[in-house]
Amino acid sequence: MPPAATTSLGYSPPDGGWGWAVVFGSFISIGFSYAFPKSLTIYFKEIQEYFSVSYSEIAWVSSVMLASMYAGGPVSSVLVNRYGSRPVVMVGGVMVGTAMLLASFGTSIMHLYLCVGLIGGFGLAFNLQPALTIIGTYFQVKRPLANGLAMTGSPVILSTLAPLNQFLFDSFGWRGSFLILGSICLNCCVAGSLMRPVTKVVPPKPGPGPPGKSQSCAERFIDFSLFKHRGFLIYLVGNVVLFFGFFAPVVFLAPYAKHQGIDEYSAALLLTIFALVDMFIRPVTGFLGNTKLVRPKIQYFFSFAVSYNGICHLLCPLLPGYAGLVGYAVILGLGFGMVSALLFEVLMDLVGAHRFSSAVGLVTIIECGPVLLGPPISGALVDAYGDYKYMYYACGVFMLAPGIFLFVMHYFNYKKLEEEQRQSVAVEMRTSEETVQLNMSQSDKSTNKAHG
Amino acid sequence: MPFSWKHQFFHIFLLLVSCRHIKTKTPGPTPPPLAPISPLPTADRSVVFKGESHTEKLEVLNPVSLTLECVWAGNHPKLPNITGFWKKDGEAIENSHLTVQLENDQYLIKRVFNIVNEESLGSYSCIFGNEAKVDFLLAAPHIAEVRDKPIVSYVGDSVVIPCKMEEPKPKPNTWKWYKDNGTAKEQIFAAGKLDRFEIKNENGYTKLTVHNLTEADSGLYYCGAVYAIATTMSHVKLKVISIQEPLKPFIAIMVEVIILVTAILLYERSQSKKNSTAGNDVNTDQSHIQVQEENSLEENSSMRQRKI
Repeated sequence: MPPAATTSLGYSPPDGGWGWAVVFGSFISIGFSYAFPKSLTIYFKEIQEYFSVSYSEIAWVSSVMLASMYAGGPVSSVLVNRYGSRPVVMVGGVMVGTAMLLASFGTSIMHLYLCVGLIGGFGLAFNLQPALTIIGTYFQVKRPLANGLAMTGSPVILSTLAPLNQFLFDSFGWRGSFLILGSICLNCCVAGSLMRPVTKVVPPKPGPGPPGKSQSCAERFIDFSLFKHRGFLIYLVGNVVLFFGFFAPVVFLAPYAKHQGIDEYSAALLLTIFALVDMFIRPVTGFLGNTKLVRPKIQYFFSFAVSYNGICHLLCPLLPGYAGLVGYAVILGLGFGMVSALLFEVLMDLVGAHRFSSAVGLVTIIECGPVLLGPPISGALVDAYGDYKYMYYACGVFMLAPGIFLFVMHYFNYKKLEEEQRQSVAVEMRTSEETVQLNMSQSDKSTNKAHG
Repeated sequence: MPFSWKHQFFHIFLLLVSCRHIKTKTPGPTPPPLAPISPLPTADRSVVFKGESHTEKLEVLNPVSLTLECVWAGNHPKLPNITGFWKKDGEAIENSHLTVQLENDQYLIKRVFNIVNEESLGSYSCIFGNEAKVDFLLAAPHIAEVRDKPIVSYVGDSVVIPCKMEEPKPKPNTWKWYKDNGTAKEQIFAAGKLDRFEIKNENGYTKLTVHNLTEADSGLYYCGAVYAIATTMSHVKLKVISIQEPLKPFIAIMVEVIILVTAILLYERSQSKKNSTAGNDVNTDQSHIQVQEENSLEENSSMRQRKI
């Protein structure tokens, strides 16, 4: 019996070969998508002075960029369904490059919102979705590892962009830096050129030919039937809640340290420790997700990672002093990396690679809300109570609750899937038995005819 | 005769009163002040120490008559008498030598100083015998460093240079800006709206905006926080470059991207040619059918035709 995965894809993915080059391309694209908005904050102080605006007005540039990146998800999905990953990523790279080039000549803050925020954000959306989607087309057996490796792009590119941006700023001011960043973002086009559409090796089938018109119709736009998919809905509900508490602890790590009286350099060191642990744990998580023990029940692994994050945040206020914060940075890095590495792998596992493109588009636009609202709500909690611990408790709850929810729901989901599997096997056996009986009766008839 | 004396006295009094009302003092040597007739506000600072040398920082904003007191209360030789004297900026003050008696197991020395201008600020030290001393560092509030690296801007563009007196420190009476023109500091006056320079002062904060930059505008700029007692300075370097500078790396990276993309696509084309030539030699009744879907935009129409 052929494994369920290949029949759903219609072909057998290479699981290697050029696939690793594709993983590298995705590494770059995903890295830029997540790291680029965060790395721009280094320019904000000077731009704020230059345009005489308040800090919150300049911080909006990052928010608009992030919002556009998430909102652009469905558009990206539609284009990937239609044209494949490669053209979309290359267009995305050109968009971000052009956006930064135009922004370097900006004459008002509105100019920056439009260029960096809107166009840049969309360009990054055109990088993120296709990069994730193409991994599903090249990998099946080694997919969790490939996903883990590709998601490592985010901390690696962030660690590269941060000092690079500082250097550019010191040498060229913000305008020159934006100009050069525009050309650096064009490297996403190089990543895109690596995303060669997969060569589909179709195994011989006695029945009708390879899927034709019907599939292309479903793939034409976005697959809204996903909203009836049980696994997709579980994922969606869990993710929407967890994103409220996912990013805020990282955003507030340095301010929390400074609040406790720790100096700026040691606070920055905490973030470096976090990034290094994150970088290391993502491929490891991918590898673990690939093992025979974890792969079949990878949803439990994800639920565990989410719950682990929740417990970390609840414990954080109890860890005293700088040593406690270093410990927290390490366990936070572990948790953050684990969830990030598995985030899209579990979605692929639930809906299958060919529906993944639409699924991720729908998920990102819905996640837009919690991602954008999370840090400001946390900030409001800190301001209201004058203490960071309530924010950490809140984030802990926001992650522990969906973690437990996912555990429970996936337990039922796995049971149902097994039931459905047994039923479909029974149906197949019955139909094959019927065909055998039919053949036997036909041959009886023919023998009877021959005799008669 | 008494009339002319009174007249004289009156003039001196007016002069002194008007002197006291001048709030801003430009940096640089000022003539020594006349002994004020109305007394300066007083302040005092006392330091009790135990033999280790001690440093005390004092922020002075306005002219003041300051009493500094040093009490040596431990780890001292129990001599009945010890010599004590004062130093300013490392040099002994004349007539400040005293013999200090040991009272309540303490040596105490104090002196009144008139802090009236920038020259009066500095380091005052009380010294007991040869070793024990307390340094009082008198200074106007220091401005936090704006940027240790130069601010970079472009020819034809404008730049904003800020200067801020950090929160807990007292705000200056006003701000002044200077540019270093090679030999001396030249004050910048933001004359009118047509001027290239624009100075905006708010309470603890000042901004110098320079429009229509040229390369000659590069150099060292000083912002001065003006207090009654003195003006403290902070400096920032401005570097004006032309747009050509960042353009070079921009073009270099763009070329690199174009080369890589072309190389990768050409490699792929050569690989696919190899595969298709290999495929044509294969028998049609082979079990494996290789379908290569080229999703590039140009071939979309042909693909759709194939699917139909």
